[in-house]
Amino acid sequence: MVAPADISPTSDSQKLARARQIDARRKRNTRLYLLLPGLVIIGLFGLMPLSITLVYSFLKPGSYGGVEWVFSLDAYVQFFVERDIFDDTLSPNWAYISIFSRSIGLSFGATLGALILGFPTAYYIASKPAHQRNFWLFLITLPFWTNLLIRTYAMLIIIRDQGVINLALMNAGIIDKPISILYTDTAVFIGLIYSYLPFMVLPLYASLEKLDLRLIEAAYDLYASRFKVLTKIILPLAKPGIVAGCILVFIPGLGAYITPELLGGGKKLMIGNLIAIQFGSSRNWPFGSAAALILMAVVMLALLLYVRHGAKGARHG
Amino acid sequence: MNQPQDTTPAISVRSLVKTFGRGAEMITALNNVSVDIRQNEFFTLLGPSGCGKTTLLRLIAGFELPDQGEVLLHGKEIAHLPPHKRPVNTVFQNYALFPHLSVSRNIAFGLEMLGWDKAKVTATVERMLELVKLEPLANRMPDQLSGGQQQRVALARALAPEPRVLLLDEPLAALDLKLRKDMQLELKRLQDETGITFVFVTHDQEEALTMSDRIAVMSNGLIQQVGTPHDIYYAPETRFVADFIGDINIIRGEVNSTSDGSMQVTLAGDLEMTLAGTASVGQSVAVAIRPERSHFAVVGAPETLSARVTDNVFFGAGTNIHLMLNNGQGFIVRIQGQESGCKPGDTVAIAIERDAAKVLDN
Repeated sequence: MVAPADISPTSDSQKLARARQIDARRKRNTRLYLLLPGLVIIGLFGLMPLSITLVYSFLKPGSYGGVEWVFSLDAYVQFFVERDIFDDTLSPNWAYISIFSRSIGLSFGATLGALILGFPTAYYIASKPAHQRNFWLFLITLPFWTNLLIRTYAMLIIIRDQGVINLALMNAGIIDKPISILYTDTAVFIGLIYSYLPFMVLPLYASLEKLDLRLIEAAYDLYASRFKVLTKIILPLAKPGIVAGCILVFIPGLGAYITPELLGGGKKLMIGNLIAIQFGSSRNWPFGSAAALILMAVVMLALLLYVRHGAKGARHG
Repeated sequence: MNQPQDTTPAISVRSLVKTFGRGAEMITALNNVSVDIRQNEFFTLLGPSGCGKTTLLRLIAGFELPDQGEVLLHGKEIAHLPPHKRPVNTVFQNYALFPHLSVSRNIAFGLEMLGWDKAKVTATVERMLELVKLEPLANRMPDQLSGGQQQRVALARALAPEPRVLLLDEPLAALDLKLRKDMQLELKRLQDETGITFVFVTHDQEEALTMSDRIAVMSNGLIQQVGTPHDIYYAPETRFVADFIGDINIIRGEVNSTSDGSMQVTLAGDLEMTLAGTASVGQSVAVAIRPERSHFAVVGAPETLSARVTDNVFFGAGTNIHLMLNNGQGFIVRIQGQESGCKPGDTVAIAIERDAAKVLDN
């Protein structure tokens, strides 16, 4: 019989490891200045514009763009409620709220679509021998070699009524008049998935690549079916990658500008377009600033909810 | 009542062939292997890396499918069932604990997959934790455990679903020496307590001898010999087995005469002995003798080999005296303690215990 001697939590080797950690932390602290260049850039070109936006959102719009330096909450009020120009009664401003909810819906759908398409892709790459993975990852990054604007125009040419897809289908006799995809939500949806798919695949790959294939064997050995192996082992262990991928697709998707502008034809606005219009033709900078900040608040709220709710499981993987 | 004992082998492997790769790079991992593993037996597959022992284990587990041959589990053909449909469980070399599940959830995993009801799962997990003495760590995560603790969780997880056969793939290889020795005894105890058939893979011959009821020694995709540790150690059948297990002297002998299963053999041109085996007169044979079964005798005494001392090597529990025989072959005699009473250059006589010398095949 063997006494369970190794149950005590602190062995000498663990004590040593802890002591070395303390030393390592002290060394790390002296390297703080390495952060400085990055901090300067972010402070100068990230935080400062953000502060300007914040200030502008509480001002009145100037007649020809710009702002009048008069404090006002109009921009925020205007976003949520509409003031009748004749009798001054207030009613909810459904126009903006619907643009917001459509943006959230489209971006959420695109995130889900990218996850469903990206997961098998990432799994395939991760299961390749190490020396072949780089080639596949290179292919994933290939679209970034061309500007998003050009790629979106190319897509427009493919999906328009007289585009490659419709012509091919009509020539094959499958349909007799073109399916209208361009300038619909579907076009924006497909465009978003296409634009942001790599941002889903890369973090998923990073998670799946670390997945120990023996765990899958162990699960099969313990009577798990293929489906159970996926839901009980692979997905939970890939969770950090799934979360990172979803954040990387959802957030830029929510603020997307080029895709809805070109593929939605200006009719199907997303928040990004709404904001852009305020600084352009509408000449309402405070309202544009307020919309941008409201978008930011929504994103931060979503992230906060995730951190509080979902971060528990993210420790492993 | 005199109940007839069920003598169906727990695992019966018949003419199993498994190759990997194709064309010029094809490797035959198992070359027509047949073996019966009895019920409630601690059976070890022993051999150097690449000998096919792990492949055989994986074929029994279902992680690989055979090219040819059958695997029977208690008489039922299972060679083509997927792993999750076989009532066998595996303890993996690096434990393969699920990092996102606590110790008790790891142990419960197989039971939940089998659809056991909650109360039974909880009770079994508790029983398993007790069996491997890990009750205080039930809620720890695997990365908070030492290697030895992880090892025990892996054991508990594989034993919990009460498999017909437990497969162990070099489970002790990653542990340090002292812990490994403890776990060897622990495994033996678990096998006694659970009565489950254990199939254990190792390349460590000492481990195999310590734990096993029977051992199959493998090399090059073939089973060289199956037998009890005693048989394997004292009666190796082939040169490979003799060489692989422990230290052994292999010396040349000339067959002088033969009679009905035994023969007169002159060892090293010096000592004539009667040995079991068949060979033709005049043939040269390899004869194996364990160092601890040969002793020093008075120089010139009958039935001894004469030799010259070349070295004394003390190894703690005893001393190996390195000798050179008259025909120039090396020979080792092992004695207890340190005092050999001889020094390099001395001439000595070696007496060999009755039945200690074995003629090897090829």
